Amino acid sequence: MNLILTDRSLPFLCAAENDTEYIDLTKQHIHNCVGCFGCWIKTPGRCVIRDDAVRIYPKIAAAERLLYVSRVCMGGYDVPMKTLLERAIPVQKAFIRLVEGETHHYQRAVLPKTATIFAYGTHDSEERELFCDIVARNARNMNFTKHKVIFTEEEFLETAVREEVASWQRS
Amino acid sequence: MAKILIVNASPRAPRSNSAKYAALFARACKKPTEYVALPASGDAGAVGSFDDCDALLLTFPLYADSIPVKLLRFLQSLAQTPIRHKPAVSVLVNCGFLEHDQNNCAVRQIQLFCKEYGYPFGSVLKIGSGEAILDTPFRFLVKRKIARFARAVSQNKAAAFAVTMPLTKRMFLRASTKYWLTKGAENGLDYAAMNTDAIEGN
Repeated sequence: MNLILTDRSLPFLCAAENDTEYIDLTKQHIHNCVGCFGCWIKTPGRCVIRDDAVRIYPKIAAAERLLYVSRVCMGGYDVPMKTLLERAIPVQKAFIRLVEGETHHYQRAVLPKTATIFAYGTHDSEERELFCDIVARNARNMNFTKHKVIFTEEEFLETAVREEVASWQRS
Repeated sequence: MAKILIVNASPRAPRSNSAKYAALFARACKKPTEYVALPASGDAGAVGSFDDCDALLLTFPLYADSIPVKLLRFLQSLAQTPIRHKPAVSVLVNCGFLEHDQNNCAVRQIQLFCKEYGYPFGSVLKIGSGEAILDTPFRFLVKRKIARFARAVSQNKAAAFAVTMPLTKRMFLRASTKYWLTKGAENGLDYAAMNTDAIEGN
């Protein structure tokens, strides 16, 4: 399954192929994680906050190919994407293992996946470098086997995403 | 005397480790401090006045490898807030992993904010194994480091500190498993229940 998450509306994606699901985060109701650890120590794998996030993070886990579209803010994901990623903690277990010599949480049923991140809203080279470093760290925690970050202007976003999705259908 | 404003940006602010670290900081600091638990909105206006503060201490946990979204909202709000005298921004960040360097990206985010919006960057304390260290015999290491950090912040120095449990990785894995099993047992869960691969029941 392919999953596309965007922080701005890209209506052309509604017509994507059957094995591709598109979720526009601007149309979802997702509360902040409250840091209760309930998804680890009370109801493992389930968030106690029953909003739209509980429908989305299982799809992140099940996807074999991810595409994120996010504005960059303070060198990281902007609020809509970051809010969702923080709420995706139920896909991990409380228990810790070594990944490439570093301590990280075990994953539940999270498929290995490739990820493409379209990042817009920054021209600053330091901010771009930081964003790439954060995505690289997320890769270790979200079972990304391969990932790439593509910086683009907001006005060219639609074209860039369209080309990427078309390349999936060719491959 | 100007104060140090401590802003706790933890998602579970009142019951957080960040609150405990903030309390240790306030106790160790020679200057007056004021503590604020950031609301979920991150509204800078809710924090109060910055006029009589010469240092701002942000205390928070690492969240998905970067700053928590509540803190992101706060920085966005602060960027839009006209402040005559911009205080130096210091950082006390903790993560549950053994390696305190896993906090580096979060620290760089705050440094980037400071650079972009004209705030001096002060000192930083990175804590590894921060979820549990205060409940272990290694608590004294944190207290000692916080005392040095508090001195640097109150003297407006730019200094970097770090602390974690002095354990091998293997020992840490065993200790962390025991820690989480104890937490699960408080809710009647055993290892098998906590270790489920199911997400939302599937």
